[in-house]
Amino acid sequence: MRRLLLLAAAAAVSAQATSFYLTVAGLGGEPEYEQRFSGWASDITKSLAGEAGAKVETLSGKEATKANILAKLSAIASQAKADDTLMVLFIGHGSYDDIDYKLNIPGQDISASELNDALSKIAARQAIVLTTAGSAGAIKSLQHDKRVIITATKAGGERNATIFARFWVEAFRDGSADTDKNQTLTALEAYKYAKTKTKDYFDTQKRLATEHSLLEDTGKGEGEGDPSTANGQGLVAGRFPLMHLGSATAIAATPAKQALLKRKDDLETSIDELKYRKASMDLPTYNKQLQGLILELAKVQASLDQ
Amino acid sequence: MKSKSTYVVVALVLAVLYVGDEQRWFRQMRAEAQNAGPGPHEECEKLADRADPGAKACYTKLSQSRDPLARAEGLWGLGDGFNASLAFADAVKANPKDPARHVRWGYLWMSTDQFGDAKEDMEAALKLNPDYAPAMLGMARVLNEAFDGEATKWAEKAVKADPKMYQAYELMARMHLEDNNPEKATAAAKEALAISPTALQGLAILAAIDMMDGKPGTEWTDRILAANPKYGEAYETIGHFFVQNRRYDEGIALLRKALELKPELWSARAQLGVQLMRFGQEEEAQKQLATVFNDGPKPARLLVKNSLKLLDVVATFDTFKTPTTVLKFDKKESPLLKPYFQAEMDRAIATYEKKYKYKLDGPVQVEVYPNHPDFEVRTIGMPGLGALGVTFGKVVAMDSPNSRTPGEFHWAATLWHEMSHVYLLTMTKSRTPRWFTEGVAVFEETAISPEWGDRMTPREVKAIQEKKLLPIAELERGYIHPTYPDQVIVSYFQGGRVITYIVEKWGQQAILDMIKGFAELKTTPEVLKEVLKVTPEEFDAQFFPWLEAQTKRTVDGFAHWTEQMKLVNEAVKAKDWDKVIALGAEPRDVYPDFVEKGNVYDMLTRAYTEKGDKPNAIAALEAWASHGGRDPDTLKKLAELQTEAGHKKEAASALQKLNFIFLKDEKAHQQLGALEMELNNPQAAVREFGAALASGAIDIAGTHYNLAVALRATKQNELALEHVYQSLEAAPAYKPAQKLLLELSAQ
Repeated sequence: MRRLLLLAAAAAVSAQATSFYLTVAGLGGEPEYEQRFSGWASDITKSLAGEAGAKVETLSGKEATKANILAKLSAIASQAKADDTLMVLFIGHGSYDDIDYKLNIPGQDISASELNDALSKIAARQAIVLTTAGSAGAIKSLQHDKRVIITATKAGGERNATIFARFWVEAFRDGSADTDKNQTLTALEAYKYAKTKTKDYFDTQKRLATEHSLLEDTGKGEGEGDPSTANGQGLVAGRFPLMHLGSATAIAATPAKQALLKRKDDLETSIDELKYRKASMDLPTYNKQLQGLILELAKVQASLDQ
Repeated sequence: MKSKSTYVVVALVLAVLYVGDEQRWFRQMRAEAQNAGPGPHEECEKLADRADPGAKACYTKLSQSRDPLARAEGLWGLGDGFNASLAFADAVKANPKDPARHVRWGYLWMSTDQFGDAKEDMEAALKLNPDYAPAMLGMARVLNEAFDGEATKWAEKAVKADPKMYQAYELMARMHLEDNNPEKATAAAKEALAISPTALQGLAILAAIDMMDGKPGTEWTDRILAANPKYGEAYETIGHFFVQNRRYDEGIALLRKALELKPELWSARAQLGVQLMRFGQEEEAQKQLATVFNDGPKPARLLVKNSLKLLDVVATFDTFKTPTTVLKFDKKESPLLKPYFQAEMDRAIATYEKKYKYKLDGPVQVEVYPNHPDFEVRTIGMPGLGALGVTFGKVVAMDSPNSRTPGEFHWAATLWHEMSHVYLLTMTKSRTPRWFTEGVAVFEETAISPEWGDRMTPREVKAIQEKKLLPIAELERGYIHPTYPDQVIVSYFQGGRVITYIVEKWGQQAILDMIKGFAELKTTPEVLKEVLKVTPEEFDAQFFPWLEAQTKRTVDGFAHWTEQMKLVNEAVKAKDWDKVIALGAEPRDVYPDFVEKGNVYDMLTRAYTEKGDKPNAIAALEAWASHGGRDPDTLKKLAELQTEAGHKKEAASALQKLNFIFLKDEKAHQQLGALEMELNNPQAAVREFGAALASGAIDIAGTHYNLAVALRATKQNELALEHVYQSLEAAPAYKPAQKLLLELSAQ
């Protein structure tokens, strides 16, 4: 995982890759929801404004029509390359009629199948985030190899208005969402942040949870609430950079430091491997080995930074 | 007992702890229902009253009758409530004009705690015959179960309709004694005995009065046992009053006596189990409750099931002991709650020890329940208690700060409230009236911090306007038999103000002297006379004008305040911020204690913020907080504004206030931890970062790192090293943690 993450981070900051973002805030139906949806869309747009080289598009309120959404996706399809990334975020109300999922927008609603047709024409790696009620109903239609799909609900039948979007948006402005501190917020980190916060919200308010989020990135599963190596979900999402925090830059790979970089990479891989073996080890042995590796890694990093 | 605060308007069943107890449990209503008129059960009842073994055969015979009414009575007598109810339905169908059938059916409902159904049947009987005395008495009993003050009126109606109805006098005697009025209780019991010299409950009430007064009571108990040598119900009733008056040890002994006389008195056995559980005697409690569960009738089994389940839950709790405290928390919560509870317990004990000049002779046990129904069962054996904390001797049971929505209650105030009970109950051996112990407890909440205590809400304002506060001599009644929905909460408010007034006028020593007087079993009038040198009437004549002067501006201006608030609200909707500021000052000053949702401070803050006037926005929120505002989001907003303005100390103070209200807020702990570090309070920062971790921090690496930094600042380098390793386990390439690791390793 670590090695993969590092590669992903490096890829994300490479000069050639472009990050595309499309945020759609659908109909609220009531002033309170209209305000909430457009507010969240505006917040994430602001968070993404600082992302170097990013192309950020937002459709909100009257602008969020089917024609406009498809036009934006078509424009992205004409520009995006395979190394690029695209995050599409849908905020609003949605529905699922046992056949297809639909996002409620002005005019004719847009269905998951229609979205899939448009997204399939885009070469970039994709993270599709559906934060509406009934959004799990879209998984089957949107499923695609290496496409990350995140839904606010675990079933098309979870029909209550959702809160997941609030915390998804929050992840982009809360540095603590970057749990591995590598200055890159991945789709998996943002998902885990929003999922945890959503659960806390219902727990704290003493309300029955009416939404249970899912992540699907294998192209064939039904989505998992807790993506892990055990269920095979989350690998693609863990490599999918959504946003860079602070001053993440590629390490200056001067020839003199190549050996140190190699050593650093090896140590990080060893730490990852050790952590995966933790369950099968006795704790003192694990701690001893881990602390040794961590200390050495810190020393290598210090040498690199000199 | 600490009730739900002013922030939650829920009908309290506060008095349950004192009044309900054993009699609310599948009580054996059969005897009480005798007055419903002659019926097929009469002969069997007589046998049962004499504890004649033939009673069972009698009921069995009835249960096989073709007459549905006889069958219902027989099945009920045999403990088959379910089929008895079906038979009563048939009996009512067979003769729909007979009110007695409804009354008997109503008593069956009452025997299984289904008071709503019972009330419907009593009402149906009264509809058939509005002058039917047994139905009036039944109604009185149903209402008494709900602690409805109307119960007395129905009992009085019953004796008016049927002057020979001694059971109504017995009920009145019981209610008077529950109101702590032994004189009226004695008079009513004697009326019952004048009609029926073997009115056993009347005799039991008289025995209870004597025994609580330190007399043997044998004059009455001898008469009871002569009439029915196995009448354990008498000791159950006497025990009920001891428990009601928190004389639990004696109450437990009386319940044991009841069971010696009548081992199959399931209500007494279940109550004994509950009382033992309250005092941490879990082994015997489990045994008694299991006996009821295994051998008792079905309703009894269902009711003790909750308590048995709870014993299993408590067995899994984490326990932390010091010489003065035993803290019990759910395992999931203990890392978060323990540091805060321990600190407050230590502070409360040190404060009260000095204030009351009294040292407790053993540790106080505090049990904290994350699941409110568990707390309810812990307290009364069944769900339905609207309280936050309860004290039994030196055992406190309370809701966890995380058991309710944030802001709904102030856990620290609740803990201090209950700890005040621990001192007063221990010092008086539980011989204190409720108005006094609750009044002192409410007073103490505000004494420790003016921002903590509950505010004067519109319901108290209304009660003052309508002159619904009670004379001091009758204040006890407000806690037990309220005559209007909010009276219990209003009585808490009044009790607190009474103590405030006493302390202001006579000083803290007067409270200590009153405690001494109550411990010597003196009545409220006697204590007032002895300590304050006033009669109850003289006290009222001084207290009410004092209270009126204190609350005058709000009470007199309440109608105008309501109008002004409407105007400010309209200005907010219109986004006319100048108008909000211009209009908002008056309602704020007229009713500064109104800090709940929709308060004017929030509106003023918004107006000032919209106008870019941050200093005044902060001032408005600071005023809100100083008047007891508790909404967590608003406190966090205040801290945020103060931090932005560079007022770090004040921001930390706002977040510290939040800690006393709600603890499971990772972000707030992170912010407070950072502020404490900036304010050079690393020890406090250690607690906050620890709490952030215990709250389920998402940023595990960052939080462990912050904690390590704080630990290092307190020179706890070994612990710091542990946490920096944990930080790097989560994020191996986290540079600040790597740097700290190298520094710590080098030392």
